[in-house]
Amino acid sequence: MYKYTLRRVMLAVPVLLLSSLIVFGLMRVMPGDALTALMGESGNIGEKELQKLRRDLRLDLPYWEQYLLWLWQMVSLRPGDSIFTGEPITTSLAKAIPVTLELAALAMILGLAVAVPIGVLSATRQDSAPDYVGRVVAVSGLSLPDFWLGTLVITFAAIWFHWIPAIGYVSFWESPLRNLQQFLLPAAVLGYRLAAATMRMTRSTVLEVLREDYVRTAWAKGLEGRIVVYKHALKNALIPVVTIVGGQLGVLLAGTVIVETIFALPGMGRLTVEAILFRDYPVVQTNVMLVAGTLVSLNLLVDLTYAWLDPRIRYQ
Amino acid sequence: MAVTAPAAHFEAEPTVELGRARSLWRVIRRKPLGAVSAALIAVIVLTAIFAEVLAPYDPLAAQPEIRLSAPSWEHPFGTDDIGRDVLSRVIFGSRISLWVGLLAVGIGTIAGMIIGLLCGYCEGRTDLVFQRIMDAIQAIPGLVLALAIVSVLTPNTTNAMLAIAMVIIPGNSRIVRGAVLAAKQNRYVEAAQAIGCRHPRIILTHILPNVTAPILVIASIWLGNAILIEASLSFLGVGTQPPTPSWGLMLSSSGRAFMEQAPWLALFPGLAISLAVLGFNLFGDTLRDAWDPKLRG
Repeated sequence: MYKYTLRRVMLAVPVLLLSSLIVFGLMRVMPGDALTALMGESGNIGEKELQKLRRDLRLDLPYWEQYLLWLWQMVSLRPGDSIFTGEPITTSLAKAIPVTLELAALAMILGLAVAVPIGVLSATRQDSAPDYVGRVVAVSGLSLPDFWLGTLVITFAAIWFHWIPAIGYVSFWESPLRNLQQFLLPAAVLGYRLAAATMRMTRSTVLEVLREDYVRTAWAKGLEGRIVVYKHALKNALIPVVTIVGGQLGVLLAGTVIVETIFALPGMGRLTVEAILFRDYPVVQTNVMLVAGTLVSLNLLVDLTYAWLDPRIRYQ
Repeated sequence: MAVTAPAAHFEAEPTVELGRARSLWRVIRRKPLGAVSAALIAVIVLTAIFAEVLAPYDPLAAQPEIRLSAPSWEHPFGTDDIGRDVLSRVIFGSRISLWVGLLAVGIGTIAGMIIGLLCGYCEGRTDLVFQRIMDAIQAIPGLVLALAIVSVLTPNTTNAMLAIAMVIIPGNSRIVRGAVLAAKQNRYVEAAQAIGCRHPRIILTHILPNVTAPILVIASIWLGNAILIEASLSFLGVGTQPPTPSWGLMLSSSGRAFMEQAPWLALFPGLAISLAVLGFNLFGDTLRDAWDPKLRG
């Protein structure tokens, strides 16, 4: 396991470095530099002030120096300030990260709580009415856009229940009830897509496992159906589901971009969209890199968990 | 000489294609969802092609005197905040969605296929370098990457399409690479190498036909996703720009602003996106059922 872990970590480092190169390169692809684009839009700043700003932001350095400097800033957790608001990026991130973490965690809990039981039900009652309903719900979850579902939820909640999402984020520690009221609907919208993918995977792996010899033996021994399915089959069927959930983390993080924008939650996703719309390059590159780093680390964790659960993987 | 003769048998390409078409037709007939998805796609494609004939009004013509009118016989999907007919805009919106979807998937599939073929066939250092680059691109969530690319370029339909293509490349290259590695194990590839066939010929005539099925399956599933990403980008304001009718843009501009007064503004474009994505997702599933020997049973 130690050797496998080391090998996986060694593979993750160049991937992260390459991601950082892509993000950095992207921000330099445009003609001129970030500042010219920004000032070109506002159009009311003199050449002298532009030069000074460029020097302050170190945009006058050669690209490789700018890259190394940025890497150092990222590693030392001092990614600089926002061009637009002047606020240190770490300060905005400290406010935004807990919001996104709470949203993602709630979405995952809601999604899994629905997906696994429905997936199992769908598999154990293959080709029956509950199976068809489960499959239709799953396929719709993959087809309905988050932003449409979110818009509809807000619209109909306002029309039918006269409920409008509260403006102004309240943290869980300030008022747990109000916080959960704010997060429940966005988490349900975000969790639906995750649930859809997980439901499909659970159904197919449970179906596969139910046809294994050892499950037939369990039936032949005269065990109760519940025990055969939940104790014998589900344990093995859930291993590939862990990987699918790992793979869905990217979708979940991308989903926060949309859901936070619709429900006006001040998280990482909304911060990134606003930075992109205002062309706030230091914030964009820091946020995108942070998301990439989180995803690579989470996938590494999923891979290691998978190897720990299934020893065959370590020896491949 | 004995080795050259059998090689000719493997170039009987039309038979393979006919077999695939037949197995797809059989699955579509047997599985009603397959037929439904094919019908949905046909409706969307025909709507896009004949938009001028089908749309009852000019999608850009504003009639402020009938702004925000509810669905009626004259305007079955109602009108928007400046009095444009929503049905006509939804019909013309199918053009943008299909156009962006097809081109983005086309570019992404071809680029992914070339990289996958190179990696799978050459293996070694080329494979290692390219696959790490693909890993690095995949480390950034698709929508975030597309957003970052569009933010650097100017927000418009063409750049949104290029950004979506970039998102598609890594996944496609990996699937093609896997299929090439499997196809390389076939004896006839070994035989072709033994008789001194050139690499491009081996790749094009012996390996490529083996990887077309997974490419087509993944491309059809990606079409749905590409439509969804385009709509998301337009919704966030960095895709198609007004006044061009795009489903995502219709939802974000008037759809959200007037959602309580005029819920139809959000309902119909969203329904169109969902049906298009559903159609392509189900069709991809049907293709996979038809062409994957393990699922054919």
